Amino acid sequence: MGEWIAFGALAGTIIMCALFVVLGRNPVGCAIALVIKLFALAGMYGVIGADFLAAIQVIIYAGAIMVLFTFVIMLLNVPPDSRSRWDRPPVEFLMVGLSVLALFGVGIYLIFGAFAGEGVEVLTRSLVTEQGGNTLMIGRLLFSKYVWPFELASILILMAIIASIVIAKKYNTEES
Amino acid sequence: MLETVLGFFRENDFWLEFLITVIKIIVVFGICAQIPPFMVWFERRAPAFMQRRKGPNRVGLFGFRLFGLIQPLADTIKLIFKEEVVPTGAHKFFYHIAPVFSLFTSLMVAAAIPFGPPLVILGRTITLSVVNLDVGFLFIFALSSLGVYGITLAGYSSNNKYSLMGALRAAAQMISYEIPLGLSLIPIVIIFGTLDLNSIVVAQANVWDWGIFRAPISFFLFVIAMFAETNRAPFDLAESEAELVAGFHTEYNSFKFSLFYFGEYVSMFVLSCLASICFFGGWQTGFISQNDLTSLLFGIQPLAVLVGVLMTFLKASFFMWLFVWVRWTLPRFRYDQLMNLGWKFMMPIGLFNIVLTAVIAGAIAFK
Repeated sequence: MGEWIAFGALAGTIIMCALFVVLGRNPVGCAIALVIKLFALAGMYGVIGADFLAAIQVIIYAGAIMVLFTFVIMLLNVPPDSRSRWDRPPVEFLMVGLSVLALFGVGIYLIFGAFAGEGVEVLTRSLVTEQGGNTLMIGRLLFSKYVWPFELASILILMAIIASIVIAKKYNTEES
Repeated sequence: MLETVLGFFRENDFWLEFLITVIKIIVVFGICAQIPPFMVWFERRAPAFMQRRKGPNRVGLFGFRLFGLIQPLADTIKLIFKEEVVPTGAHKFFYHIAPVFSLFTSLMVAAAIPFGPPLVILGRTITLSVVNLDVGFLFIFALSSLGVYGITLAGYSSNNKYSLMGALRAAAQMISYEIPLGLSLIPIVIIFGTLDLNSIVVAQANVWDWGIFRAPISFFLFVIAMFAETNRAPFDLAESEAELVAGFHTEYNSFKFSLFYFGEYVSMFVLSCLASICFFGGWQTGFISQNDLTSLLFGIQPLAVLVGVLMTFLKASFFMWLFVWVRWTLPRFRYDQLMNLGWKFMMPIGLFNIVLTAVIAGAIAFK
């Protein structure tokens, strides 16, 4: 009962905010709507018992990435969009429609796959608690079964950091 | 009538749990609401004593002066009844929502703080934190990382250059110092092996088990980052009055201004509590275990809980005093000094500290 109420409220918030991100006129408003949307998604993870994922979602997406987004929007001082919503080339509508449909299809496929028990290992809440909780289980899996993907992802991030430093350095030397 | 109500709660566990949570929320909010008025008074009286002045000591109630303790009440009444002026060209919605957002995040963080040991009443165990999470640490970081939005929105929506500059400074500073703050607490997580704040306190029964003795470098980093994270002196560049009028809240007045004040003091209080939990054993007295304390106090468990709560507040109030003390002792940093300190000094030390702690913890576990 409580879970259903929480799910309804969170799902409603997510859909409303997601719509506002796309349809809103003021870029800062859109960014803040995206923050609320990400926060509500973290709440959704909390409802299904994935505490660790919920906290990480807020720390990384809402607390770090979106802060930089709003920063850039404020610094560039982007004016609110004054064009009509329908005054765009039809190709744009087609592309958006197709990508939304594709995403929806993948989502449906995954959900039905999970319910049929194919491909996705079904984890119930009691099973997770037995293993010592959500965070402990993720930690164990990351350092045993998924250690290679984990390390490769960290190398990828390291490459991105070095690349960004190199690009920033280049600009500096050109100016001076 | 009373019997039927009690009977209802005895039968419906969900609603009893709900009622307990509501009471906890009210109590924690009440505690947090008492902090700012007291701190406003203290922040004027303490430097007055340090500088051999008197400070505000006149305002009293019914002829009793009470060391001027009623001064904040008078200030608050003045703030509430002031005219509200919204600057022209301000973004109305964000202008009104920004102080609320700032206060909301600070108060939400307070929900995860365990103020005392679990209370046992009528065979029912009640934890003294509003939410009892396995990932209390991450919850605190998640919500305190959202605190930036209140400030940036205030600066953006005020339609004032000083506000925007102050907000950008504050946001850059808070993002930069969140990293050393997080890094300084990872050794604590390694040492105690849990993200649950209550378990961390339970593990610090003995004085020599306290976090400050096990991870001294962490404590050093945490205290510095704590000042920067709350935008307090010597890192209060966000509102350096000589350059930016008042920073992000230049255009705010009356009650909305006091909400920013409220949020700042609550986040100071929460970080003080976190410091006392991670490094000074939270509600533990340090030399006597909770069970011994209960038997010493004639076996009345709530009394032992009260001692625990008082310990938390005593330790937290030391850090609150530290905030005031440092503010009236050290001059303000320059902005490049602040950034260099954060990224080039504290971050390498924090990373080194994590590696060191991990190696030592691994060696102990291996032995």
